[in-house]
Amino acid sequence: MSASSEPAMPVEQVVVLPKHLHARPAGQVAQAAARYPDTTIELSNDHRTANARSILAVMGLGAVTGDQIRVRAAGADPAGASAAVAAILTAAEE
Amino acid sequence: MTPKMVGIVLISHSASLAAGAAELVGQIAGGARVVPAGGTDDGRLGTSTDLILAAIAEADQGAGVLLLPDLGSSVISARMVLAGSDHAPAVAQVAIADAPFVEGAVAAGVAASVGADLAAVTQAAEEARDVRKL
Repeated sequence: MSASSEPAMPVEQVVVLPKHLHARPAGQVAQAAARYPDTTIELSNDHRTANARSILAVMGLGAVTGDQIRVRAAGADPAGASAAVAAILTAAEE
Repeated sequence: MTPKMVGIVLISHSASLAAGAAELVGQIAGGARVVPAGGTDDGRLGTSTDLILAAIAEADQGAGVLLLPDLGSSVISARMVLAGSDHAPAVAQVAIADAPFVEGAVAAGVAASVGADLAAVTQAAEEARDVRKL
């Protein structure tokens, strides 16, 4: 994303998990989040909030099928980062 | 630009524990180069600085290598290698992580797989000390 003088608006969306948040999707989330170094991405459920870049924190959400996960992104490319993470969270079981 | 990733060496008394952890990291953090260095030279329980040095050479891709020991003499052997009191590793940048073995390996593997530098990969492993799983 090109730098802009106007900071992008933060993005917040809620997704419903079609599968447990296993180690592998958690790793994919962390890898995707790392591709947006200038954007902060947080995942939260009723219990806790996790930095999307930390696979261990994402797994620590203990999120299971049917859970709602709130994805919040702020910084350089909140729309792109949020969409990338939400796509992984909502992908069907492998 | 050829992406150079930090390599990771998993050091355990048990060859199968190190190999299993490396396999797990490979599944979760695709792309990371994770090399097990478990057991003694002749396959018994224990650690071997020669095996660790060989694993460092195999893990090295030009961006440094992180050593992750499990406990006890794994830590001592890793520190000996790092200090060069046994044989100096040929790799310029080698660090050791003070982290839980499996969780640290997974976190480091993910960080390495996305091109984080050695300091960031080490930090990712060490953050595993503070992340709750329940």
